[in-house]
Amino acid sequence: MSLYVLEGLRPWVIQRVSAVYIVLFIVYAVLCFFTAETIAYTSWKSWLYDPFNTTVVGIFVIALLFHVWIGMRDVILDYVHNIMLRIFILAMLVGILIGCGLWVFRILLLSVVG
Amino acid sequence: MKFNIYRYNPEADKKPYVKEYELDNVEPGTMLLAALLRIKDEQDETLSFRRSCGEGVCGSDGMNINGVNGLACITSTDDLKQPVEIKPLPGLPVIRDLIIDMDQFYKQYRAVKPYLIVNDPMPEVELKQTPEQREQLDGLYECVLCACCSTACPSFWWNPDKFLGPAALLQASRFIEDSRDQAFEKRLENLEGPFKLFRCHTIMNCVQVCPKGLNPTKAIGKIKNKMVTRSL
Repeated sequence: MSLYVLEGLRPWVIQRVSAVYIVLFIVYAVLCFFTAETIAYTSWKSWLYDPFNTTVVGIFVIALLFHVWIGMRDVILDYVHNIMLRIFILAMLVGILIGCGLWVFRILLLSVVG
Repeated sequence: MKFNIYRYNPEADKKPYVKEYELDNVEPGTMLLAALLRIKDEQDETLSFRRSCGEGVCGSDGMNINGVNGLACITSTDDLKQPVEIKPLPGLPVIRDLIIDMDQFYKQYRAVKPYLIVNDPMPEVELKQTPEQREQLDGLYECVLCACCSTACPSFWWNPDKFLGPAALLQASRFIEDSRDQAFEKRLENLEGPFKLFRCHTIMNCVQVCPKGLNPTKAIGKIKNKMVTRSL
């Protein structure tokens, strides 16, 4: 998987589609927050336990990770001209984003299992 | 009227410097190019800049005027804050004073194959278009290649060898939109990749500075839309 480093159109489309989903999710999350009866860890956990919410949060995390990846890739392609340094930074970024993704999915999994 | 003009002669100067000039009796409505020609004639014949038609058609006298790229021949001195700061177009190497090396700019222009590609045998009469097909080229064909747009584009500054820049992409769009051209697919394929087209981040400096009032950002958007439609 090239992770879209060498592509133009596909990452551009993914960036836009993910941006639309992120905006829609934020609106939904804010609405849920302000209409919640209580603001507490247990109510958040039960909100996340709902299969619909687990799904939309999971998709949100994937969309956010791709959006960040493509945005940061663009910044690096713009400003970092040394090829080896560029590969190093991109690799670091992939590592950090995969780490963040796994962490969030662990939280999601624990909220569903527990 | 006061002018601060960027000067640099690589054969004589170690580094660029700014020289002050003052012109008396500048009549209202005088264009900047006329003022520069007066400075060159009356005060300093070593001042170097390109110019030709003097009426915004040839695109030779692009320069950075008070921080904004433009053509000196169609910029009225009445509208300029003093002292008028004049520098060469940014982002390309300076040959001397206000003259820049435009090789990179023309290289990107040539890369989009700015001519009709027709594979069928050429007809005995001209290749005809309907008025509607011709209308598609409005806002695209008028470019005079002055380089004001590309040299105002940060994406072109950072990657002038890889990003085609707004001027070349406007020309790419001009031939993609042309009903007579038969290389639509190839032209779109040629623009794929992370650099050639997709370094454009819709900053729109190109639109702000174009002396012909063209909109390269819109043309780039149309190319992107055509690429999406083609891929679906």
